[in-house]
Amino acid sequence: MRGRIGWRAVALFAALALGAAACGGDGDDEAAEQTTGAETTAEGPITIGWAFDSSGQMAPFDGPALAAAQIRVDQINADGGVDGRDLRIETCDTQNNDPSRARVCATTLLEGGADIVFVTCDVDFATPVVQEAISQGTLAIAPCIGTDQMGPKRFGEAGRLAFSFGNVAQDEGSAMAEFAWEQGWRTAALATNTLLVYFQNVVQAFEARFTELGGEIVAKETYATGADNVDAAVSRLNQANADVVVTSTAFGELPALVSGLRALGSETPILNSWAGDGTYWVTDDPPVTNYYSVTYASVFGDDPSEEVRELIQALTDAGSQPGTGGFLAGAGAIDGVVEAIRRADGSTEGEALADELEGFEDVETISGNVNFSPELHTVFGREYRVVEIQGNQGKYFGPITAKTVPEI
Amino acid sequence: MPLAVVDAQTLVDSVALGAVYALMAVGIGLVFGVLRLVNFAYGQLVMAGAYTLAFTSHFHPAVSIAACFAVVIALSTAIDLAVFRPLRGQSPAVMLVTTFALAFLLQAVARIVDVRDGTIGEPVRVVGRLNRAVDVAGVNVRQVTILAIVLGVVMLGLLALLLGRTTIGLHMRAAAADFRTARLLGVRSDRVIGFAVFLSAVLAALVAVVLTVRRPLVTPAYGLQETIVVLVGVVVGGLDRLWTATLGGFAIGFATGLINGVLPTDKTIFLPTAVFTLVILVLLLRPGGLFAPRGAATVERV
Repeated sequence: MRGRIGWRAVALFAALALGAAACGGDGDDEAAEQTTGAETTAEGPITIGWAFDSSGQMAPFDGPALAAAQIRVDQINADGGVDGRDLRIETCDTQNNDPSRARVCATTLLEGGADIVFVTCDVDFATPVVQEAISQGTLAIAPCIGTDQMGPKRFGEAGRLAFSFGNVAQDEGSAMAEFAWEQGWRTAALATNTLLVYFQNVVQAFEARFTELGGEIVAKETYATGADNVDAAVSRLNQANADVVVTSTAFGELPALVSGLRALGSETPILNSWAGDGTYWVTDDPPVTNYYSVTYASVFGDDPSEEVRELIQALTDAGSQPGTGGFLAGAGAIDGVVEAIRRADGSTEGEALADELEGFEDVETISGNVNFSPELHTVFGREYRVVEIQGNQGKYFGPITAKTVPEI
Repeated sequence: MPLAVVDAQTLVDSVALGAVYALMAVGIGLVFGVLRLVNFAYGQLVMAGAYTLAFTSHFHPAVSIAACFAVVIALSTAIDLAVFRPLRGQSPAVMLVTTFALAFLLQAVARIVDVRDGTIGEPVRVVGRLNRAVDVAGVNVRQVTILAIVLGVVMLGLLALLLGRTTIGLHMRAAAADFRTARLLGVRSDRVIGFAVFLSAVLAALVAVVLTVRRPLVTPAYGLQETIVVLVGVVVGGLDRLWTATLGGFAIGFATGLINGVLPTDKTIFLPTAVFTLVILVLLLRPGGLFAPRGAATVERV
């Protein structure tokens, strides 16, 4: 009897734990309070403290971005630095973004003299480091966070010092709608992965812009990483008879969705966001065909920018061949920060840099032109590369730019 | 927004999910029956098999699948020898925490191995053809669904024969009923347990093959989510009997698929909430197990 009760307790515990995980919170959403500003340093090297994840979920994003940033820093230093001052990157490994470890990293980097702090590419994971940095008046930069959360929206007034050089999901979804319309696709089936706000926002923005252009949404399906319901979504999407299936997803659900549709005989084009860049996930049988994604750069050796191709080659030579175009945001963030420091007359003080960044209009970086606004601290208006996969081979398809950032 | 109507496709997809979970439940139920162990690390055996399939994708499928079985059996045996055997006789709580620790350890090892190429996840390329569908009156029935059902029924049948008609099966049943008395009567405990571990490893390898058809990208957490859900399912079905545990695994998969199909598409985020509310209700109403015979005093264990 005692044993039976014990195992029922185990089942209940597991059920509750899983339910709690499914309803998981977004971490600490409270805005950090801004305190004192960092001291302006007029001489000596400019130190970028980078809290990155070398071995966890964010490692595939952080590693290439950091490697590309390091190469960009070396190039800038070789050209004389930032008005004569060298850039240097000090790193701290958050080890799978353990919150306590991340806070230690933030303290270590800031006490070690970091003028600017770079954080991991997910806003929930980045929050401990961002809060520590902006509470001390230091600028916090994410190379590739893709939501509008990196800024005042999440961190309140102090969030004025938080920016991301990733593309904001609303812009990305809008660009995808422009691309779909250009291809002559007039009906779309939406497949929303509800795991991340970024995933959801991309699809919502696609819908807003696509219908504004005159397109029709003929089906809406949802699934979630870990919920084991992607197959059901695939079955229904296959019956939708749309011109294009639109999603924003990565992880295990990406090949499950794509190969699932192809296995059912569907040849309908599939359009994904940057989350679905690269070919590391493709299956041989059925092969991936008629698949498109928007991204920062084509990693298939055919990016239209010679500078980008050279950076990819440099990364490859350094043993860090990028699997997706996200690496470019790391180098682009360095360009953007350097430009802000120059515009602020060499100041690295958080408020001064935020003033300059909020005024960015089509500022050129290696990752494309960057725009920020006081409300939106994540990039909009950048030209995307559309890459396609046919027969498991990826290649550059063409450029696309969002004409508007829709309200969602 | 109103609930959706359940159509034939939803029913078939629900059966498909139930079939995979049932296959997992057989292995989990077997280990519990003999070792009295709720093995949260079972999913990591599946993960190891799935990674093996991914890393051997360039070989012939038969070779790749054989490698999958070899790795899972070897890993399972090593875990039993190195971890479970020294802890044998400890309380269920100790064993449960140990399996948690093992699960996280194996995940960490997989992460270190996987992230070497700068990406998380390795695709299994060899068995995807089983995801193709047969059209039955306008309903897509995936080949892997048929395979999972056949495997579940066959494995359950074979286990029933093994347990009922062979000496080792008799020893397993004796050990499951009363381990101490069975040992006093001459049953070689390590042999019995070793055989149960071997059988559960074979089942884990089979699950790895079936799961990778449905979800080809293998990650360090692969199989963990399913294991937790199936563990809940086998308790709901009735943990004390292999067939009730298997039915419980099927039931929770089927219910998950059905609820997912009924929920409005913008409300599927509440799928786990709905499923586990149902689980709690069932446990409250039928604490002995949904499929356990009413008033049954004697438990069979396996």
